[in-house]
Amino acid sequence: MSTIELTKTGIEGLDDILNGGIVKNSTTLISGNPGAGKSILGLQYIYNGVELFDEKGIYLTFEENAADLREAAESIGFENWQQYVEDGQINVYDKQVLLRENDFGAALDILLEDLDNEEYERLVLDSLTMFQLFFESEREKRTYLLKFTDILSENNLTTLMTNEQGTVFPGTDIGLENFLTDGNIYLLQTPTDSGVNRYVWVAKMRKQNIDSDIFPMEITQGGLTVHKNASAFSMMGEDESPL
Amino acid sequence: MASEELLQTLGNKYSAEILEATDEPQSAQELSDELGIPIATCYRRIDELTEHDLLELHDNILSDDRRRIKIYRRNVDAVHVEFDEPLAVDIDERTEVANKLDEAWRTLSES
Repeated sequence: MSTIELTKTGIEGLDDILNGGIVKNSTTLISGNPGAGKSILGLQYIYNGVELFDEKGIYLTFEENAADLREAAESIGFENWQQYVEDGQINVYDKQVLLRENDFGAALDILLEDLDNEEYERLVLDSLTMFQLFFESEREKRTYLLKFTDILSENNLTTLMTNEQGTVFPGTDIGLENFLTDGNIYLLQTPTDSGVNRYVWVAKMRKQNIDSDIFPMEITQGGLTVHKNASAFSMMGEDESPL
Repeated sequence: MASEELLQTLGNKYSAEILEATDEPQSAQELSDELGIPIATCYRRIDELTEHDLLELHDNILSDDRRRIKIYRRNVDAVHVEFDEPLAVDIDERTEVANKLDEAWRTLSES
């Protein structure tokens, strides 16, 4: 075994298929369509960090304000969310903070200062899609994603970034951000008669041996659960993978 | 008057090419080599563009043979000209976010 340090998500089943967790100080992209569970995964990752591992986290959201986020967290059972926020164990930069003065620049100053103190170990950016709107050309988007991930990594942060993007099938264009980050996790959903079936696919994890099958996943009270024993769901045969 | 001078500067041979190439910081020598500009002209254009805030001195880096080299980066993304009275030239500066990330990233590589 290598001596690579891992950060556990604390999400049941997910750490197993990641072979222990996410590589420390790396950036992983969480892609999926709206409603796939990206933000919940982010909330759970940050919440578990404090609740289970005593690691402080930063949650950046361009999508919601702090009250919505609290409501979302509490509604899936992260009861201590607000307390952790008030204690400073979870540092929320919500859309009102990030977009104050119409530019992300002012908030970026505070964020960079917070990172410099090195007291945080986990970071979620919801979403990369919004972050990239601050840059003009494709080239700039790539350059600044790389610079931002460098900055996060140097400050010892293990980062998840959500990305509004469905699953990439062979023959379609893969967003460049998939190559620029260390890991790629896709959240998939297919409609059924009674609701939706959810799946998780870890497509890439640099420096890690991962199980790249597609596993069923549930969102219930308590958050995401990944079912490592896929056969229990008899989702698909070996030969009929949707990818 | 200032607007006309700015247009004059932009119109000089190689000015546009230098601005196009300095999306990422470059030294005068790199620009001269890359764009085929005589080195003396290259320095002159850099001075003119810097004077009008179209280009900025980004950093002093140490070369392989331990000399200080100035590298320049463009300060603008676009220039708009309106010909209504009076002649108006608007400069779109690079975004604040881009500049701050550049700055933070540069500090990283120094430490």
